[in-house]
Amino acid sequence: MRPELFLRWAGFVLAVAVLAVPFIGSPSLADLTFRTCTLAIIAISWNMMAGAGLISLGHSGFWGVGSYVAILCANHFGIPFLPSLLFGMLGGAMIGAGLALITGRLRGIYFAVATLAMSEGLRVMAVMLPDLTGGAQGAYLDSALFPGALAVNIAAGCGAVLAACFSWYVSRTRYHYAFRAMRANERASQMLGIHPMLYRVSIVIVSGAMASYAGAVSVWYGGYLDPGVAFNLHITLMAQIAPILGGIYTLAGPILGTLAAAGLGEVTRQWLGHVEGVSLLVFGMTLAICVLYLPKGIQGGIDRLFRSVVKAPLADDSTPTRTTR
Amino acid sequence: MNLLPQFLIDSILLGGLYTLMAIGFALAFGVTRIINFAHGEFIMLGAYAAFWLFTGWGLDPLVVMPAVIVLGFACGWLLFKAFIERVLAAPNINQILLTFAIGLVIQHIAVILWSGDSRSTTPEYALKALTIGDAFIPYGRLVGCGVAVLLVAMLIAWLKWTEDGRAVRAVAQNSDAATLMGINVKGIYALSFALSSALGVATGVVVSFIITVTPFMGFPMLVKAVAIVIVAGMGSIVGMVVGAFVLAFAETGFAYYVTEGSGWAEGVAFVLITAILIIRPYGLFGDAEA
Repeated sequence: MRPELFLRWAGFVLAVAVLAVPFIGSPSLADLTFRTCTLAIIAISWNMMAGAGLISLGHSGFWGVGSYVAILCANHFGIPFLPSLLFGMLGGAMIGAGLALITGRLRGIYFAVATLAMSEGLRVMAVMLPDLTGGAQGAYLDSALFPGALAVNIAAGCGAVLAACFSWYVSRTRYHYAFRAMRANERASQMLGIHPMLYRVSIVIVSGAMASYAGAVSVWYGGYLDPGVAFNLHITLMAQIAPILGGIYTLAGPILGTLAAAGLGEVTRQWLGHVEGVSLLVFGMTLAICVLYLPKGIQGGIDRLFRSVVKAPLADDSTPTRTTR
Repeated sequence: MNLLPQFLIDSILLGGLYTLMAIGFALAFGVTRIINFAHGEFIMLGAYAAFWLFTGWGLDPLVVMPAVIVLGFACGWLLFKAFIERVLAAPNINQILLTFAIGLVIQHIAVILWSGDSRSTTPEYALKALTIGDAFIPYGRLVGCGVAVLLVAMLIAWLKWTEDGRAVRAVAQNSDAATLMGINVKGIYALSFALSSALGVATGVVVSFIITVTPFMGFPMLVKAVAIVIVAGMGSIVGMVVGAFVLAFAETGFAYYVTEGSGWAEGVAFVLITAILIIRPYGLFGDAEA
């Protein structure tokens, strides 16, 4: 069987499993699935931006905006679960549009720094506007509107499956090639008739909306929000680790990486969970090791395995391009 | 009471510290073109070194500073040789993620070893203050600023008048041309990175008796250093000094003259980054080619 076909079937089975778990799984399994699904969404979202050459260090910003918009909708306007998710996505999309327009000319490191600044700036705003956000004390979601754990779990599962489908769809259109060209060299891609600004704004909008969706679902799951939770650097980190671990710039990479990262997180929690700070230490080390020794991640390993077994020529899509100065 | 003299004094003292922080950070960035997201962690380690030597053996932070600087230099050099050197030619994304990960690891080793508690070093001068008219000058900040200015002056002199310093400047301007001139570019990279780390821990020693020491203190300082570099643009020491004082004045101004300003002051760095990136993406003093 060709690897693409195998991955497609594996993805299908995984999607069915994810959607079935809220109905048949135990509460602890459902909890793990929920966290894995939200992680998958931000990983796919991060990978899409990275695919266009935009390195985000600010995914916690999108996440936090989604969370705050959802909780504000619910508490101030009594907007129920599903519409609040849509508003959360809208909020993330708007922040994404603003970010992309402001950083229009920035590349590489400068763009990354700008995303970091955005997310920290949003955190300061959340702390300093207590009338709106509940400030540093945080805010509880109006429990009268809570749709039940089942609904929230299904929303997370659907979100993850849709995000994966969307990234698969994009990979089959010409946009995929446009983004790859932009990643390699934005100026040169302009000569191919690609409008970098247009593509850049649209990918950041989509990516922001996705990450905000995950944030919005999470606030309904947890029921509580403060600026530290919403704009946690941990989210930014996980959004990077999953695609790097799985295989950056690939379709299955973020999902494989999400599964691996979730597994790693569980193992660390069970063995060493009593030591403060150890889980982030482990994730930090994983990230460093991946960057140094496994730049193509798990997907790269699988490709090599298939190549040696099937001896089929592979279209190597995942080679990171060298940047030009 | 007139706030102006106090505002000016506080801003200037803070600006001196920020200059040291930003120049330490910018040295590695300017030469290797790799943003060291672990720089804040070196500041944190320096602060902890000062704290433990002070509480354990009663040694004054200023007395141990030279030893800590040497140690910081060695750690920076090792870090460069072990990890950073491998990603010199790699895509930006690998470099960013690697230093980010290293910072995270150092930070959480600190959490595990020393817990997340806030601490502070309290040598005698840190608790006293000088009063001139209405204005109030804490000795700790005065000493800190003095040390910072001294270190920055030493660095500038080194860059200007020594052979190695010239080589560093040459590599920062154009590493290919420097290679053609027979400069050992990798050696200069390692040297700059190690010196940058040394200045990082020196910053940490100085701030250990000015602000509270926690494992998480590095990240906000890193962001401020990044903000200053972005305001200044690459390759200008004068710009760096101006950037540091712009940030110091803006933050202190917010804290003094805006309601609830000390909370908003935290966000000044981010506003500054965003504003400069919109108006002048290459900084006030940088040139567009950098």
